[in-house]
Amino acid sequence: MTLLQSYWNKWLNKRIPAASQHHLNHHNIFIFPAKFGLLFLSLCVLLFLLGTNYQNNLMLLLCYFLLAIFLVNLLASYINFARIDLQIGKCHEVFVGDNLQIPLWLNANIDNNNRAKSATKGLLHFKFQTNQHKSTKKTKFRHDQQSTEVDADALTNPIYLSQKCHQRGKLTLSRVTVQSFYPLGLYRCWTHLAFIHEITVFPKPLPCEIQLHINDNNSAKKSGGIANEQAGHDDFSHLKAYQVGEPLNHVAWKQLAKGRGMVSKQFSSISNQIGWLKLSTDYKNKALSPSIVLDTELDNLALDKIALDKELGELCYQVIELSRTQRTFGLDLGPQCIAPNSGAGHRLACLLALANFTEASP
Amino acid sequence: MFIRLQQKLKNQGTPQSSKNIALLLLAAILVCVSFSLFASILIWILLLVACAAVIRGAIYYNYYRHLPSIRTLNLLAVLSILGLIYSALSDGLLFGMVNLLILACALKLMQMRSQKDVYQLVISLFFLIGCGFIFNQSIGFSLFYALMCMALLLSLACYHAPSNTMHKQLKTVSILSLQALPIGLLMFLVLPQLSPLWHTPKSKGAQTGLSEQITPGDIATLSQSSELAFRATFEDTPPIARRRYWRAIVMEDFDGKTWKVHAYRHKLREFQLKTKQQFKPKLTGPFFDYEVIAEPTNQPWLFALDIAVPADTQSRRNIMQSSDFLLFNRQPVVSKYQYAVRSYPEALANQALTVTDKQINLRLPETGNNRTREWVSNLRAKFQDNNKFVEAVLSHFIDNPFVYTLRPDVMLVDPVDRFLFDNQAGFCSHYASALAYALRLGGIPARIVTGYQGGELVENNGKSPYLSIYQYDAHAWVETWSDNAGWQRIDPTALVSPDRIEFGLQQAMLEEGSFLADSPFSLARLANIVWLNNIRLFLADIDYNWSRWVLGFNSQKQRDLFKSILGKLTPERLSILGVGIVFTIGMLLSLFFLPHWLQNRLGTTQHLYIKALHAFAKAGTQRANWQGPTAFSQHINEHYSHKVSDPFSQLTQLYLRLTYQKKQSTGTSVLSIKQCHRLMRGHLARLKTELLKSKA
Repeated sequence: MTLLQSYWNKWLNKRIPAASQHHLNHHNIFIFPAKFGLLFLSLCVLLFLLGTNYQNNLMLLLCYFLLAIFLVNLLASYINFARIDLQIGKCHEVFVGDNLQIPLWLNANIDNNNRAKSATKGLLHFKFQTNQHKSTKKTKFRHDQQSTEVDADALTNPIYLSQKCHQRGKLTLSRVTVQSFYPLGLYRCWTHLAFIHEITVFPKPLPCEIQLHINDNNSAKKSGGIANEQAGHDDFSHLKAYQVGEPLNHVAWKQLAKGRGMVSKQFSSISNQIGWLKLSTDYKNKALSPSIVLDTELDNLALDKIALDKELGELCYQVIELSRTQRTFGLDLGPQCIAPNSGAGHRLACLLALANFTEASP
Repeated sequence: MFIRLQQKLKNQGTPQSSKNIALLLLAAILVCVSFSLFASILIWILLLVACAAVIRGAIYYNYYRHLPSIRTLNLLAVLSILGLIYSALSDGLLFGMVNLLILACALKLMQMRSQKDVYQLVISLFFLIGCGFIFNQSIGFSLFYALMCMALLLSLACYHAPSNTMHKQLKTVSILSLQALPIGLLMFLVLPQLSPLWHTPKSKGAQTGLSEQITPGDIATLSQSSELAFRATFEDTPPIARRRYWRAIVMEDFDGKTWKVHAYRHKLREFQLKTKQQFKPKLTGPFFDYEVIAEPTNQPWLFALDIAVPADTQSRRNIMQSSDFLLFNRQPVVSKYQYAVRSYPEALANQALTVTDKQINLRLPETGNNRTREWVSNLRAKFQDNNKFVEAVLSHFIDNPFVYTLRPDVMLVDPVDRFLFDNQAGFCSHYASALAYALRLGGIPARIVTGYQGGELVENNGKSPYLSIYQYDAHAWVETWSDNAGWQRIDPTALVSPDRIEFGLQQAMLEEGSFLADSPFSLARLANIVWLNNIRLFLADIDYNWSRWVLGFNSQKQRDLFKSILGKLTPERLSILGVGIVFTIGMLLSLFFLPHWLQNRLGTTQHLYIKALHAFAKAGTQRANWQGPTAFSQHINEHYSHKVSDPFSQLTQLYLRLTYQKKQSTGTSVLSIKQCHRLMRGHLARLKTELLKSKA
């Protein structure tokens, strides 16, 4: 079974490689009569038998007409489906446990004049392809929940597909299954699309105290180096020419009123000192709530993992908080260090490092 | 349980919920189709259908919010099935099945909740429409059912694209149907017409047309009906009116008042049906072929001129010849029925008379009609020769003032006596009955034959002529046996009212005015108003062609069609035809497909610009993601010679203008959109040639 699946996945990867934009065509569309289509065919057979037995030409005519409808529908549903053009949009940053809303733009390139003529019609069902190797009933049900129904005629772009993020690190986005039964429900057109994306799931921020390790040149004592940040400790140090982008509440309005131009106050405080956020090396032994420890069913490895995730979550919270207050800090994760800096880019780099952190195997 | 509940909630939230117009459409279709089968549906089932439709309507228009619960419906289903078994058991399988189907549809409509229910209902409705064709095959009904089919497809379309407008849905469905129609027709014409695979239950409708017994007076009721009885198509000219005696039923059992089909003949026919034994009359003399399309009568009797035999394989399979030279179908004729026959007008005289035949045809009631008995014995004493005796009896009709009328007095006691000597007014069955009785009294085997006489001839240029025979053409006459001349047809009516035989009932009743007196607005009665008559004939003609070419299309006609296409039916040619048909269907499909490939998805402006970009990409310069059109144009300016860059920059400008300028301003501009496109094409062509040159 799994062998078959791996072949299937391999074949799919070759057939429909990941891309940020998919234009559906005969390379990536699957089409097969739906259950209703098969029912319809059996109706045709029944009508044929009845028409032959009663020697009733009108019944035969009806049968052949329905058969022809079935045939023509193959093209109609293919054409409709082949009009789909899907493009993945930009996502917000996402943390473990969040519901990620992945935006997909449907036929965004078609201008409104052409829309009536060449846009997809009917209901579209979006769904993440189920990970079949754990297709117990429970997961199946959960995946059913994720099916999103979109009416292409009353569409508001983008379409948001929600996916719950369970793991930190680079998001493994399973293939998106899109299917449509338009126009008459006789055929099921579907495709499994893989999207290229740059979505990384950051660890879930766990509120905690901020612990900056200040690296003095002659840091003798470790514990003293911890600077507890508290509000109101900032002291004014000097004035500087205002730069666009600096917060307005730092502007020295009195100086402006005196006609000395826009200058901003610069503060010096403990916080202004460069500090390090550190992944403690002994996280395995600390900070586990007794309830988890008592849960004997979890083995050691799993316990370690939980502890690591907790630690990373706390670091994540600190990174976010420090960035919010525009502090300069570095991140020391043991094997990976990020030099002290500040700003959005630095924040992102830190979060990425936290998300992708894997402990070197001992 | 929880999951189901969730799914239910989910279903109600989706666009495909009970608010969908498709469900209302389905309700309407069910109502229409079941009322079209009014005659064969139980009234209470129709009421149930109406109830279901009302429930759907109420839910759609928000008068009511809750579907009846499953438990209620199950109870209802059980009760109605019990009711159906009780009331439909006696009426045959087909009747029961159709009623059951409609009942099931009605219940389904009431409880329709999920997608599956909708699909099941749609399929059942399609099947119901198919069944409708068993009962109704006229053009009107066929159009009606075609409309219903379209409505069903429409409801499916609405179900799958809930927020599309009705107008667009209609367009989609009609395009689909128009595309499917030629393919369907082609399949109908080409796919082999098989013979019935097994015996099917037939409906038991009310019998119409001639009955198996006449008490003089019966045919008068038929003569008030202008309904079509059957049509006959002749290859050559049909026989003249005086010879058109369509035999249908022979009656040999007389009890003094009523003529009946003899029990012996009934038994014989049953025996024939069981053993599939054909009675073979002696076929002599000239013959002619024709085709008959009989209207449904729910009786097995068929109509043919004189002695006739089925003429093609299919007719031969279904039609039996009885010992009184009648044709009857194996099963009652429940829908329009076409058969080919060959008639031998002179063969009747050459048949043999068995002892039983003779006995039956001489049997008389012991008492009654004393005056006639006396009269006949007197005559017989005078004329010993059979022929002279018959002539003497017939001369009684000529010498006395007999009147042909559709409004005879009622004769309850000794009807023959009163008719022959007192009233002397009646119509065909009175005359036939009296004559046959008199001949039997005189020892001459005689019997009454009922059927139709005459018919309206329609001759169109270039087409084979056909006769329409209406119910008012019903007639009765006498056949007598003479030892040297065999069976002879004697029609006493012809002696009294020659017009009836030569020109039909209408002409004969001109003075009395009793032709179709009960239906004064019948088109047939108003035949002397020219334009009305033309309309009547036109409608009749359409109906005839419909019956002949659509309903009557069979394997024989299919073979004729192939012959007319191929010339000769050899396996090679047939296989070529098959390949050709498949090819044609493929061509048709690809024809429907073509617009999609040719369709310009992006609009001309975009398309042309992208073509230019592709040209550059081929030449090695890819537009980067971050480059806007202007930036890229500059980039080209910097990297290419002006021969290449000039047309491109102009093209870019046109592109920018068409794409980003406001509509109003382009409207007032010098160049129309079309002109701009032409310019763009020109620039594109120049660009391409220059790029090629620079490459070379």
